[in-house]
Amino acid sequence: MSPFETLPRRVDFPIQLLVRMSPPWVFIDEIRRFTESFCACACPGQDREAQVALAVHELMQNAVPHSHGEEVELCLEVSRETDAIAIRVTNRCSDEDYQELSDRIDRMNREPDALAHYVRMMREHPAVTRGGLGLARVRFEAQLDITVRREAGRVIVEAAGPLRAPRLPAVGGTHA
Amino acid sequence: MPNPSTSFAARMPALQVAEEKYSAYLGFDAQGIRVYFRGTISTVNPAVVLNPFVDAVHAHVLEASAQEIRVDLTGLEFCNSSGFKSFIHWIERIQQTPEPKRYRLRFLSTKERKWQRTSLLALSCYGINIVAIDGAA
Repeated sequence: MSPFETLPRRVDFPIQLLVRMSPPWVFIDEIRRFTESFCACACPGQDREAQVALAVHELMQNAVPHSHGEEVELCLEVSRETDAIAIRVTNRCSDEDYQELSDRIDRMNREPDALAHYVRMMREHPAVTRGGLGLARVRFEAQLDITVRREAGRVIVEAAGPLRAPRLPAVGGTHA
Repeated sequence: MPNPSTSFAARMPALQVAEEKYSAYLGFDAQGIRVYFRGTISTVNPAVVLNPFVDAVHAHVLEASAQEIRVDLTGLEFCNSSGFKSFIHWIERIQQTPEPKRYRLRFLSTKERKWQRTSLLALSCYGINIVAIDGAA
């Protein structure tokens, strides 16, 4: 018997990445790049890494300004066995910030068409002010469902969906 | 008689903006006006830098009476949602322009940056009749 035959069969364990950082903002680019590489290794052939990296960037960028200088935690989980991917970003936040965020996510999730909601956010949020687009962008462009909950004074925003996301329509030509 | 496009190119000012991680500038080649975005747009509020640049480019495109210009994103690694708003701002400026003077933005993207595919798809739904996309399939 070969020594290799005595090894246990390979099990498709969920893959997990945990990052805990103190702001500043400037490291978000590095986390996005790392996440993209990590995801490409964790789920090769799924063409999901750019979407996941975009979602991580937007969620982290939302979290940092509201974390009051305290740490922000990122958890990325990938399971090829259950065809699932989940991103969780956790940070401390005030009751008012949590309520506002929760209301915004509720309103977003009541709109079944992610693209229609995204386009409406483009129209409603002035282009000269910051914010208002990130969550809608994650929902449509990364094709992830977004939920929020609160635990022990910390807010947890989760973006989750299938690892094998359906393809969006290809672009090209003129949308006229 | 001088070619109007060539004479515009000769008069075209050197429009450009740059921050630590990104830059944007107005260029001109045989196909006409081409606006380049390079690097990573991920600062807190890039619209402070990019919107005035977009406004200046818009004014020059109107002056040139161009029907279409190219917006080259092939060197743009990433653009956050705050930076994305500058493209929305641009579309709104065109929408506010009287119909005969409106022009089209033809975005040049690369499949090496997969986010561009979906971001431009969404942008084309906002800027119907204004946004065209080449490149990433």
